[in-house]
Amino acid sequence: MSNEHTVKSYEEELRYLIDSVIKMGSLTESQLVDSMDAVIKVDKDSIDKIIKSDDEINKFRSKIDTQIMTLLVKRAPMAIDLRETISSLKISQDLERIGDLSKSNAKKVKPLPLDLPEELLGNLKRLGDLVIKQLNDVLDSYVNKNYDKAKEVWEKDEQVDDLTYIAMESVIDFLSKDKKNLDFSTHLIFATKNLERAGDHITNIAESICFLIKGEYLKGSRPKGKVIQQ
Amino acid sequence: MNNVKIKSKNLNVYYGEKQALFDVNLDLNEKEVTALIGPSGCGKSTFIRCINRMNDVIDICKVSGNIEIDGVEINDKNLDVVSLRERVGMVFQKPNPFPKSIYDNISYGPKIHGKGETKSELDEIVENSLKKAALWEEVKDRLDEPGTGLSGGQQQRLCIARAISVNPEVILMDEPCSALDPIATAKIEELIDELKKTYTIVIVTHSMAQAVRVSQKTGFFHLGKLIEVGKTEKIFKNPDNKMTQDYITGRFG
Repeated sequence: MSNEHTVKSYEEELRYLIDSVIKMGSLTESQLVDSMDAVIKVDKDSIDKIIKSDDEINKFRSKIDTQIMTLLVKRAPMAIDLRETISSLKISQDLERIGDLSKSNAKKVKPLPLDLPEELLGNLKRLGDLVIKQLNDVLDSYVNKNYDKAKEVWEKDEQVDDLTYIAMESVIDFLSKDKKNLDFSTHLIFATKNLERAGDHITNIAESICFLIKGEYLKGSRPKGKVIQQ
Repeated sequence: MNNVKIKSKNLNVYYGEKQALFDVNLDLNEKEVTALIGPSGCGKSTFIRCINRMNDVIDICKVSGNIEIDGVEINDKNLDVVSLRERVGMVFQKPNPFPKSIYDNISYGPKIHGKGETKSELDEIVENSLKKAALWEEVKDRLDEPGTGLSGGQQQRLCIARAISVNPEVILMDEPCSALDPIATAKIEELIDELKKTYTIVIVTHSMAQAVRVSQKTGFFHLGKLIEVGKTEKIFKNPDNKMTQDYITGRFG
């Protein structure tokens, strides 16, 4: 926003809302990093901490909801303020869902064996790293109101699809080698899918940011990568 | 999009030395509500007062440029102002019923415009006008009581009924709800929605929310200039002009 509201308290309320979304975003990002780390290192000790951090994210979501409702009632925001308010609502919803997916992935660490093949973990890690980078970039574009960067994230989800495909294939390959692997391979398939879905929520956030900045939604369908047939 | 009913071209208005409107070009569509917004003194009321030549009554006021209604120039000196005001009715900020009965308030206009020659014709006009202004049910048993005895919201609807009674084509409303409570405001807004099926309506309002609720088109004035005009939804969600945005989001000044 270029200049400030005549009503200082309105300015503060809007700033506070945006700050809440940014804080929620950084919390969601740390949780995603931690859960990815737990999966790759098969670190069972960190599971509880990650699950607990999801409560924090959920609390943020309710707090943001309340802030938005108050803003709508008190200020009846218009134009950029209206878009800022609506996109906060949507972005916080997507962040919360990403939090749920990170929590779900953390829970999947419990049954995993400690000697998973390097290649499988490598493929999963590459996917995880890309999703983390995507989240980082989209949050950055939100903080700096950078339309081009948000659009870049939106387009880059194609790569998330591709890496999901590769990671899925290596899990299926691992599974087909020995039926004993069936149990935890199923968890790994879900974990991979969760990362891909987190990627989709990140593209939603990118769309909200583009709408926030230009007042119109991105046109056309975003590029899609390879997908495992379901 | 409806046809253009009123067209202003390079409209300039001066009050003595002071220029109040600068080259205003604005098309108002038929059977649509156009809201005019902007800070006090921006020229929005001056603009609507040009449409029925209310500015004629101010000696120092000078108007140049054109305003056409249905393609006919209304600033023409030979134009009969009385018949213009019959076609273009006006409702003001404060309800201003005549100090007469409810019935006389409505029948006065038709009488001087030579409409409703018999009592039964006048009765019909009074009833229809009050019905269109959504006031009939509330006053039908006390038509001989003074109009000034009604509540503020009822008085404003009486003034709308009075404007309607001469069967105008255009209704100008200058902040018609600013003296009313929320319920009376809601009734007027609902009425505006109904009236736009028959009339072309131009409303000046300081309430953004009201502009969004009642209008299809919005024009933003600032310091006598029309800064931006467009579909109401566009103006309030994503205006093109930064000044419009600063005004509607409360960042002005």
